[in-house]
Formats: sequence, C-alpha cells, structure tokens
Amino acid sequence: MGTQELTFKPAADGVSQSAYHEAFTAKGAVREHWQYLLQSLQGLGGEELAMRRLAVDRILRDGGATYNDYSPGLVARPWGLDPIPLVLSSEEWSRIESGIRERAELLDLVLRDLYGPRSLLRHGVIPPELVFGNDAFLRECQGLSLPGEQQLILYATDLVRTPDGELRVMSDRTQTPSGTGYTLVNRQAMSRVFPSLFRDSHVHRLSMYFNKLRLKLNQLNPNGDVARVAVLTPGAYNETYFEHVFLANYLGYPLVQGRDLTVRDGYVWLKTLDGLSRIDVILRRVDDTYCDPAELYSDSQLGVPGLLEAARRGNVSIANPLGSGVLESRGIARYLPAAAKHFLGRELSLPTTRTWWCGDPQDCAFVRDKLDQLVIKTTSRGPGSGIVFGATLSRAERDSMLARINANPAAFVAQDYLDPSVSPVWDGSTPGRQMPLVLRSFAVAGDSSYVVMPGGLTRVGKSTDGIEISNRLGSLSKDTWILASEPEKRPEVDASEVREASAWVGMELPSRVVDNLFWVGRYTERAEASLRLLRSVLTVLKGEQLVAPANHALLLRAITHLTGTYPGFLDPRADLDAPMPELLSIALDPNRPGSINHSLQALMQAVDQVKDFMSADTQRILNDLRDEMSDLPEHLQRDYSAAPEEALDRLVSLLLALAGLAQESMVRGQGWHFLDMGRRIERGLLSLSLLRSLLVPRSEPYLEPLLLETALISMETLMTYRRRYQRNFNIGDTLDLLLLESANPRSLLFQLQKLEMHLSSLPDSVSRDRPGEEQRLCLEALSLLQLADLTKLAATAEGEFLRKDLDQLLSRSQLLLARIATTLTDRYFDHSLGQHPMRPDDNGSPDNPESQNQNQNQTQGQGQRQSQGGSDNEP
Amino acid sequence: MKYRIRHRTRYDYRDQVSQCYSLAHLLPRNTHFQRCNRSAITVEPLPAVSAEREDYFGNRSFHFAVQAPHRVLEVTVESEVEILAQRQSLSLDFGASCADVRAMLSNLEPEENIRAREFLLDSPRIARSQALADYARDCFNDDAPFFSCVRNFTSKIFNEFEFDPRATEVATPLQTVIEQRKGVCQDFAHLAIGCLRSLGYPARYVSGYLETLPPPGSPRLEGADASHAWFAVYSPTEGWADFDPTNDRMAAEQHVTTAWGRDYTDVTPLKGSVIGGGIGQQLHVAVDVERLAG
Repeated sequence: MGTQELTFKPAADGVSQSAYHEAFTAKGAVREHWQYLLQSLQGLGGEELAMRRLAVDRILRDGGATYNDYSPGLVARPWGLDPIPLVLSSEEWSRIESGIRERAELLDLVLRDLYGPRSLLRHGVIPPELVFGNDAFLRECQGLSLPGEQQLILYATDLVRTPDGELRVMSDRTQTPSGTGYTLVNRQAMSRVFPSLFRDSHVHRLSMYFNKLRLKLNQLNPNGDVARVAVLTPGAYNETYFEHVFLANYLGYPLVQGRDLTVRDGYVWLKTLDGLSRIDVILRRVDDTYCDPAELYSDSQLGVPGLLEAARRGNVSIANPLGSGVLESRGIARYLPAAAKHFLGRELSLPTTRTWWCGDPQDCAFVRDKLDQLVIKTTSRGPGSGIVFGATLSRAERDSMLARINANPAAFVAQDYLDPSVSPVWDGSTPGRQMPLVLRSFAVAGDSSYVVMPGGLTRVGKSTDGIEISNRLGSLSKDTWILASEPEKRPEVDASEVREASAWVGMELPSRVVDNLFWVGRYTERAEASLRLLRSVLTVLKGEQLVAPANHALLLRAITHLTGTYPGFLDPRADLDAPMPELLSIALDPNRPGSINHSLQALMQAVDQVKDFMSADTQRILNDLRDEMSDLPEHLQRDYSAAPEEALDRLVSLLLALAGLAQESMVRGQGWHFLDMGRRIERGLLSLSLLRSLLVPRSEPYLEPLLLETALISMETLMTYRRRYQRNFNIGDTLDLLLLESANPRSLLFQLQKLEMHLSSLPDSVSRDRPGEEQRLCLEALSLLQLADLTKLAATAEGEFLRKDLDQLLSRSQLLLARIATTLTDRYFDHSLGQHPMRPDDNGSPDNPESQNQNQNQTQGQGQRQSQGGSDNEP
Repeated sequence: MKYRIRHRTRYDYRDQVSQCYSLAHLLPRNTHFQRCNRSAITVEPLPAVSAEREDYFGNRSFHFAVQAPHRVLEVTVESEVEILAQRQSLSLDFGASCADVRAMLSNLEPEENIRAREFLLDSPRIARSQALADYARDCFNDDAPFFSCVRNFTSKIFNEFEFDPRATEVATPLQTVIEQRKGVCQDFAHLAIGCLRSLGYPARYVSGYLETLPPPGSPRLEGADASHAWFAVYSPTEGWADFDPTNDRMAAEQHVTTAWGRDYTDVTPLKGSVIGGGIGQQLHVAVDVERLAG
C-alpha cells in the first residue's frame, strides 16, 4: 500500500492571497503542531488515504449521519467529513479557551440583565430599540430563573482566523446551539479509521465536555433526587434531527417531542403507556417561541401548552432558558465591547468581528459609505435572513440594498468581510488542496464558570473563495484536534458506559414512540406481503406455469385486494391482458396508498421517529432499502423481459433483515410488544384478505392448484406444504396449513396466539382482573378458528359461487382483527384531541357568538395520517 | 369615585375539552390615578393550579390550568376600583412641544424615557407606516404643546371613523380599519397608536372599562357594555396621559384601567390553549360597571 506519492504543500490554486495557512508558515514550512499529522498521512500514501476516506464515509452513512435540507421528500444530506483534521496547539488552545469562557460569562450577564434590571439600557450601553425591537426578546420570560449561578447554560461560537493570525468571532449561538453531536460523530469516525494516528497524536478527549453537560443538567433539577432529563426535539423534519437522536442516545436521555409531554399540576410529564412520568429538566432543541402555544406562538404544534408557566413556577428547568435567543441578534454583537467594559471593566480577549448596527445613525452613515467593503446581514436571525456581500453587488443591486437599509435601518447590520484561514483538505486527488474554514466551539455552564469543549466542529467552505460556509449550504466538516501537552490517561468514554451511568434510562418510552413502533410493524409487513404477491404474480405472468391468460384475472384481482389499491384490476375497464402498467404503478407510485413504494416511504417515516430505539445496524438496512427502492423503477422496467422478480427479492430480503433485527436485538419491553403486535395484526389482515379473494370464489377445477400455489407462495408456506404433504395441491391441506397450523409462523392461528400473548403483557391487562376489550376480541377470533370444521370450510354447495362457510369465518376474523387494532390505538395512543388556541376576547365587542372557523387549521393527529395512508382492509 | 366591575367570560365548546391552559389580564392594576381595593377571580370548573403574577409591563396577570374535562369554561372577575384623582386637571395647553418631546426622548433621564422608547416601535399588531404618519400629520405642529395636538388628533379619529361592532373582529388588520373608516375601540386605539409611533411619539395600548350607566344627565358612552380600550402617550416632562378616541375625550373618572402594553396582544383579556374542544367555540362576554356610593 501507499505507493502513490503524497505531499502536502502550502500553495494551491484559487486560495485567497492573504489567507492565513493553518498548517504552513509564510515561508512554506509545516507548522510544528502539524508536523506529526502531515508526516503520518504522507506515510500512509494517497491510495491508503483514499481507502480510509471511504471508510469514514461508510461509518458515517451506517451511523445515519445526515443533515436534512429543506427539499421536499425528506431527502437527508449525508454528513461529509474530511479525513484531515484541523490541528490546534495546546498553547494556542488555552488562549482560545479562556476567550470563549469570558464571552460566555459576558453573554450570561447580558442575558440576566435583559430579562432583569436592564441596566445596560438605562446606562446607555445598548440602545433600547435594539432590544425592544428584537423579535427574540420575549417579554413573557422576564424574571425566569434557573437554579445555579448562570442562566446561559449552552453556548456555541463560530470562530474565523483572519490573515493576521488572530481569531475573531463571527457569531454567537445561545438559542439551541447545534453541532456537539456532529462533533462527536466526527471524532468517533476519525478515531476508528485512524486509530494509531489518533492515539499517538495525544488529542484532547471530548467526553469531559459531555460529562460536564450531564452534570450541569442534573444540577438544574429543581425537584431534588436524580434529574429526569429529556431532550426536546421538533421532530424528524428538523435539519439536525440526526444530532438530536444521537445526543439523546449518547447522553442516555429520552428524545421527546412536544406532544409527548403534558403539563399537569404545574409540573411537566412524559406520556408513557404506563401513565405520566415527571420530567425535571428539558434539554431544548426547539426554538423558544415555539415551546408554549398557550403563551408564545399560539399556532405552534411543537410545544407544550403551559410549559412556560411550569418554568416560572420553578418546577422544570429548561436549557437554554426560554428567551435566550435574544442574544443571537446580530446587533447585540455590536455592543458587546461596551457591555464588556460595563460588566467586566475590560475588553474581550476574543473579540467579535467589527459590526455596525444601522439603527444607530452614525453606524448607518458609515455602512452606507463603505457598503462595498462590508457584509450586510439582517439584524434578526429569522427566516429570510440572507447575507449580502457588498463587494459582489452590481450598481443597481447596491442601490436597492441601500433603499432597503434606508427604509428600515434597524433591521440591518454590517460586518467586516472576513478572509478565513485555509487548511489542507483531502479530496482524493489533489494533495495540496487548501480550503477556508470556520470553527464552531462549544461551552457549557459549570460550577463557577464555563467548561469549553476541547475540540469543536470545523466546517470547510465548498469553494476556495470562502465567502459562505454553513451546513445548510452543504459544507464539508473536519474533526478538530487540540493537541495535549502530555497524553491523557482516561480513555474516551463510550456511549454504552455513559448510558449505564445514568439512573433513569429509556424504561419509559413516550407513547408516541410506541405508536410509531406499532406502525413500523404494520408497514414492514404490508410492504413485505405486497412484494411477495407481486413477485409470485410476475412469475406466473411470465408463463412458466401453463395458465390460460384468461385466468390471470383472479390473480391480478388478488393483488388489488391485498394492496388495497382499488379500483385497480377490479375496475371493469381494467386491461387484464396488459397488466404491466398497473403492476408497475402498484410497485412504484409513491403517491398511491397501498403501493409498495408508499408503504416503504411510510415505513421509513415511522422508523425516523423511533430510530433511537432500534439497533444501530438498522440504519444500514434502511440505507440499503432506500437505495434499492430508488433503483427499483429501473430494475423493474429493464428486467421485465428477464427477471423482474429478482429486484423484488432484494427488497424482501432487506425487510426480512429488518424484522430479524427487531426480533434479535430489541429489549422485550412495550416497544417490542407493540412492534410485533403491529406485524401480527397486519399479517393476519393481509392473509385474510388474500385468502378471501383467492379461495372463496369457486374456480374451475384446473385452476384451483394454481390459486392454492399462489396463496402458499405469497404466505411463504410452499416449501412446508411440499415437504409435509408431498402431493398435489388441495384445498383442505392448504387451509389447514394457512389457517390452523400453530407451528406455521405464517398461519392465522399463529398470529392470534402471539397477539394473545402480547395483549396479556400490556400495562392495562396486567392491572386488570378481567380481560379487556381487545383480549376478548382476540379470544373470540381464536375460538372461532379452533372450532372450525375443515371439511365444511373447503366445501362448495351445489349451485353456489362461493365457499360460504369459509367466507364467514374469514370475514368475521377480519372484523375482529381490525377491531383489536382500533381498540389498541384508542386505548394507548391519544390521537383524537387536537390542541388549539382559545378564541381571544377582544376589547370593545360584547359578544362573539360564532367563531369564524377559528380552529380549522388544527393539524391532524399522526394516527390519522397513518391510517389514511395505508390500506386497513376493513371488511 | 368608586366602581364595582363584574366581567364574565364564557366559552362553549362543541366537544369536551380535557385540559385548558390560560392567561388572563382581567385584574385591574394600580396606577397613579386608581387603586384596586379588591378583586376576585373565579374559574369554573375549578383550576388545578393558578397563580397571580406581575407581568413585564407591571400588569396583574392570572395564570390558570383546568384539568377537569369540560364543555363550558366560565371566568368571572369582580373588582372594586377607586379613581383617585381628576385626570383632566392636566392642562393641555402647556408642557412640552411636539419637537421637544421627540428631542428629549433620547435622554437617559428620566428613566421612564428608556421604557417609553419601547412604545415607539412596531408591535405584533401595529406596524408603523408612511400612510399612518400622513393621516395624523395635520394634527401635529412642532411648536405646539404635544398633549393638545394629541387631543386634536383624538377628535379627528372620533369625527372621521364610525363606531361599528360588526365591521371588525379581533384579527382585523389596521389597513382595513383605515380603508373602512369603521371599527370598535380596539381598532381606534391601534390606529391612533400606529399614527403616533409613525410620527415618532411613544404610545401604548390601555385595556379597561367604562362606567356602564352614568348618572342622570350624563351621556352613556360607547363601549360600556364590554371591556374598553384606549391609548396613552408619553411626554418626557409630563409623563403618560390617556386619550379615548372612541368617545373623543381624555380618559377621566369614568375610565377604569385594567392593563397596558404595546398593543392588544400584550393585554388580551383571556387567551390560552385547549386540548380537545373540537372545531368551533363560542365566546360570550358580559361586563357590568357600577358606581358605588361614597
């Protein structure tokens, strides 16, 4: 290995002339703290480095690392990691660290002041308009107070090194600072792919930061004892959802959404199947204005009504506290130097880029004058907060920018253009590549001051001009190595060890999660059953068996029945001689409920909600499923003449792998019970639907074997049948195997017996003496089946077109199973009640008799979403 | 002058509400001109938790959560308020001129200046605009005493707008009110505040009550059978003064203040979130303001 010559050089094309080189001195020599790394990488050689880079990509992909963008269809962008870390020396880091600590302390003082005495305003340090006009200044949060000295718990800052070699702050993050999870993911990937290099480089460990974070969250507990901490996420559609899942797992806290929580008696509770479980501390990843529809943004569906008042009562601690977003106003940065003098009596050692706020007339005049040298940003960070580079504006654009500033000066700030430093990047081919970077650093409140993470998230610009670097624009990232002056003794704490350390872990799943697991079970089964039948039908259509084309109709209709894609082949106008377009649509149409594609999409959405409760290997299977699904149209169409069923085989195998994982690696808790119940119910319903359409109508005697074979293939029972009976297909044997054989995991009896077992272990059943509604229904279905007379079932009366007894048994069983599903859903999951604002009473109108459709915008419960999306095959 | 105020709010829901989290601005605050001697709030069904707090603006806010299932929620407030001084004694023809008011606002003293500057800016329901500034401009003259200009402006709104409870609802935007020239006290207060801020004067929204049945010989004022709203303006030398554009007068002995804020959203009498309740809810409000002897 390592035959390809690899050298890192300082100069490369397209790099800003003035940019500071992280790895090289002005004379082109490798800086001392970079020497070991670059030598080692050169020692590996280009080929080896390329291999390791692929390994990094694979680890990240298998870990599910993504950054969601806003494009439709929930396409998650894979997280990109460059294999060359950013290296900082221990001496420099200690200066940076104290600078970050000082800034965090100052911002904490500013935060406490703005929601308290507002002395900064009274003393003329910060213009009142900057605070009062800031949408993120939440007056409702005046006087909120967390236990302990600091109110700002989590802090992140974006640092850029300017050509003079000094670091400057580009922005401060105080609302829900993101990136610590990605930093950890990067570190885990790097230490796995470069184990010896990592070990020998004496890199500072990150675990200390996370331990301090856990400690701090525990200290915030207002209710005594071990804190029950939950991570509050906006959900799977958030751009950094991967990180929420990852962090919650790493820290050992449940990941919850607003609707998983409720406020009762002034406290916050997690809704679980067992009832309510108190939450003491919330690690918040939802923006503050969305956190409480009762007092803040009233249309928010991401929050918890009453949360703010629970915080005021001091019954729950929220980190960061609601209202902390006010510090993210870009105008605040303009006045931080003055605030530092006011509070600390000195200047910040880690200053912000020079900033001008156009709400100040002098600043505004300066900005108008120097527009072409500055970067213009909106003061607030809200939507539509674009960034404009004065130097790139045409004359007309410049005039229109000036007009916008003049119309509302307070809405704009300007900053010096920063020429970011560059660092070597390995793109697989050009060893000298240098790219601009921004370093995000993190701090968490500690006992007396802040603890800074010794490392951080380095993001690399896509292009060499370094104009914009942000995750949303699809940047690459780097691990950040702070070299320790001497090796640290403690090993990196791994996730499992951390999880054990926490006393309150995952014992109580939010009922939403269990709900989703139930649907994961149902959708997996639904997709699998449709795939199997489609596969059998394609085989038959290819004519390997001698079936008159006229008799294809029954098979095709079975597909329509099973997938619920009505009218489909039941449509009298359907072209049964050319079924391929409809079959392709049943396979591929993402917008058709019941199609395989639709079921798989629904499955993945449900899985996204419960990722943190599934095995890590799940992600790999999901990735493969996603890939296989996106290749399916091509495979099906191209291979039609050859072997279309092979493309389906691969999907079936992946679904089986998914099921196997759940079976083998899930804890036998409520989550598993519901997952498996979903699967059993769906399998039961689908088999019933299939058998009804294939075996109930009387068919021509010569056709019967084919129908029986199709039923057996679709229910994965053909081999068993052949082994057991070793004779031609006959209806009695088939029914025996598919309905009554308790040793056949595909039989209806098997599903009902499993279901009965699960039902008796549910919280409600355990606490009751008499069987509950769903248990009664299950019992009825079981006895119906066990009492059934096979000969009567198989018989057709003279002159009848149906097997009447069979039809009765099957339809009754369908009804019972469907009722079990509804009863379960109603009992355990709370879908019916939407949350909405009270109609406000206005001043001046005595009566408001009819509300004007006030609440029509209520969003639908997710249970509704899923049962609409699927085919329940209700009789 | 003493008043007893009864304010009853009733919500009827189509379906059962399982929980309700609510915030009321219904308890009268103390001001320079009034003292609230007694107030009691009853919520039916009984709230599981409740707390009275002082909000950001110094108003009395009442937070409560109902956890019992209900289809009807009733909130009744009974207060006794004493109006302490004759507000009209403020002479409108003296005091700071319009130009002085604008110039002095940037001083850090008196401290109230800083707080008042909050009321110069846009707020959730009121955005400053050229059109609003133009509408009011003819009432203001840089050299004229500020309060007398505001008084003229109050008359202008009274004369040019029609009181019409059917014309608007809670969410009617300011622009529609200007175009229709119709509205209720809330709209007129918002309009006046928008014009004043657009010209650079601090103005805030005041929510309160009017005496329902005045003594014989005095006219019955508009808006007396509901909660009422008007506005207050600020002068660095004279402080805050209240004007009622719905009734073309300064707020006087017949005006009882409940709360103030940047606009209606800061002092909504009752707001919150319910779980359940179905689509559609009916709201009934009854207000009674009675003068007490002594």
